Amino acid sequence: MGFSFELMVFGSTIAALIAMVFLLYYFTMDYRRNLLGESASSLSKEESNLLLSKMRREISFSAFFMDDSKSIGVRYLITSIVLFFIGGLAGVGMRISLWFPNPSFLTPDQYNILLTAHGNIMLYGFAIGTILGFGYYLLPSANKIEKDTLGVVKSIMYWLFLIGAVFIIFSKSTATWYFYYPLVDQLTEAGGGTYSFATLIGVTLILLATTVSSVIFLKMVFLDRSKSIPLSKISMFSWSIVSAAVLVITSAPVSMIANGFLIYDLINPVFFQASNGAVLGYAIMFWFWGHPLVYIAILPAFGLIYEMLPKYAGVPIFSYRAGVFSLLLLMIFSAVVWGHHLFNSGLGTVWDLLFSTTSFLVVIPSAMSVFNWIATLWTAKHIRLTVPMLFVLNGIVDFIIGGIVGVYSADVGLNAFIHGTYAITSHFHWIFIGLTAGIGFGAIYILFPTLTGGRTYNVPLAKVHFYLNSVGTILMSGFWLVGGFAGMPRRVAGYFGIFQTYQDVAAIGGVILGIGFLIFLVNFAYSAYLPAKVDVTNPLEDEVQAI
Amino acid sequence: MNKATPIVLLVVVLIVAGGSFAWFLSVPGGGISYQQGSYNSTQVIVLYANAQGWNYNSSNPNPTLNEKLHTLLEFKVIEQDGLPHTLTIAAGPNETTNSNDWIVNVVIPTTVGSITWVNWSFANPGLYTYWCTVHPYTMVGKLYVNGTANSTSSSPSPSAVQAPSSGLLTSIIQHQNSGTYEMADSNEQVW
Repeated sequence: MGFSFELMVFGSTIAALIAMVFLLYYFTMDYRRNLLGESASSLSKEESNLLLSKMRREISFSAFFMDDSKSIGVRYLITSIVLFFIGGLAGVGMRISLWFPNPSFLTPDQYNILLTAHGNIMLYGFAIGTILGFGYYLLPSANKIEKDTLGVVKSIMYWLFLIGAVFIIFSKSTATWYFYYPLVDQLTEAGGGTYSFATLIGVTLILLATTVSSVIFLKMVFLDRSKSIPLSKISMFSWSIVSAAVLVITSAPVSMIANGFLIYDLINPVFFQASNGAVLGYAIMFWFWGHPLVYIAILPAFGLIYEMLPKYAGVPIFSYRAGVFSLLLLMIFSAVVWGHHLFNSGLGTVWDLLFSTTSFLVVIPSAMSVFNWIATLWTAKHIRLTVPMLFVLNGIVDFIIGGIVGVYSADVGLNAFIHGTYAITSHFHWIFIGLTAGIGFGAIYILFPTLTGGRTYNVPLAKVHFYLNSVGTILMSGFWLVGGFAGMPRRVAGYFGIFQTYQDVAAIGGVILGIGFLIFLVNFAYSAYLPAKVDVTNPLEDEVQAI
Repeated sequence: MNKATPIVLLVVVLIVAGGSFAWFLSVPGGGISYQQGSYNSTQVIVLYANAQGWNYNSSNPNPTLNEKLHTLLEFKVIEQDGLPHTLTIAAGPNETTNSNDWIVNVVIPTTVGSITWVNWSFANPGLYTYWCTVHPYTMVGKLYVNGTANSTSSSPSPSAVQAPSSGLLTSIIQHQNSGTYEMADSNEQVW
């Protein structure tokens, strides 16, 4: 095989990014002076970082040249929005191609590349990126931190995250987001999957960045928190980040080790040989991280719902303690259910039953949170249906539907039938679009005055975005669900003609979703272009009335 | 916030997302851009996917299939050895197994005895190469499509294409009734 254009692009991209890291240091002081004035040069870097982290900060490209917590958060938010549109376009492309039973737009190779890119970019890029972004952005104000250290480490971890995302995009892997062994180490000359190992490197870099950032989050919450906030009063968002961070720290290293083994296997296959059955060993090592990952993707969304819901319901959350208990219980349970991804892989009946039971147990903490939200709404005198609140309500409904689909997917017998069908795709798209993406964009709306320096979003456009998002999810995931129970197989570039109705409606839903997010983008650019109208305070960071 | 920032962000998102999408789609072989030709008859060709039965070398090539233009070729590929195989046909006439430009590339299931149907109707005459991408040195053969294309086509004229010597074609018999090509003795030389 020839080392060709792709590797050249890799090399030059990495060289450019490394050069940027070096440039970073030289730009640092100038941008600080812009924000802090002359005092920037007299303060030490840690003191000025702390001042910057306490300011209301807006989206700007100068954030890429500063290393205080809020700048890092802004960097992650910008990056994850860009990655969201890359992954989203891949998803819409797949939907359009599946309009007819026979592939009319994409070859199977191209379909597999889009499938892998969509999964990897959305999970590792967008979901983790928004969590790190909101974590870095909101934790300093939520906990009124007393020092903001390790700026260089945070900055380097961001660049590793970005390089990882670039690797994933350039690899054109076809190994899907769990890259099982024989597939990921194949080096075929032509078609997709030529550089699947580059995805491994990219994902490992992202996992490294996530793990180190999680340690920094725990440090920020438990060590740097202001003494005025006792542990029993820290915000629900901080608790959700804590539970997600603990999950990352306990499970991501396992996946990093497995990825290291895979990269070694590329050169000298010893670890995951098919002959000794160790391929299943890789699957186990992957899902030991892979299942916690999906909880890492939704736990911060839970925390944001707990923060946003009371602002528009006008009452405090119904039970703070039940909420914290539910988040911590979710953290514990989600670490012991990974086997339900391998029901059909031959773990054995006893293990299957164990993982089936633990998967059913996850209902308890999830329902605790859902009933907590419902009780909060129940006790409210006046609920204001603003755009962020609409996203929150839609997220709760989507979570209930997707969660229930997930619960009966945990039945071992039923799982054998629906595991390879669109029912599973439907299950996690209800939750990911409703919670991870929906609450993420809802939080961007609630933070809009702060993020754009005093602008307000265009409410009619934002409502159009919301309704398209909601209707698109229902059409796409709903018809996937029905088709999945009729046996419609997932991850294929074509399908049997009897499923065309489901696929066509899902394609319409996917296109509607895409249009909705484009409207968000237009709304963002249009509203932020207009002159500033309001104060830069926002209800997630300040004691102000939510708008 | 600088006024230019949201505009720059919008442009960056559009360029990066569109560029990535184009990058994802830019695999060898491209999109589905090859059109099948019209046909007025069909022809079934039975191929046995068995790596042992195909032994290509310069003195003993695998048999060349002679087909007419305007015929829908229905390849019936029967898996025999449980190994991964593909049926791949290069897009242009006179291309070899080094080509990355394919009109047909179907992965054959490894279940022994499974039958995979692959249909294709050539739009242009010429001498095509068909092979298995897993075993490109042994499981390779030629497919001669004979006939006259439409006048608007820019394909090489039929006279420019040398009809291959049909050395082993005698081992292929044509069934009188079904119009099926099949090896005379599949135990002796399966392919």
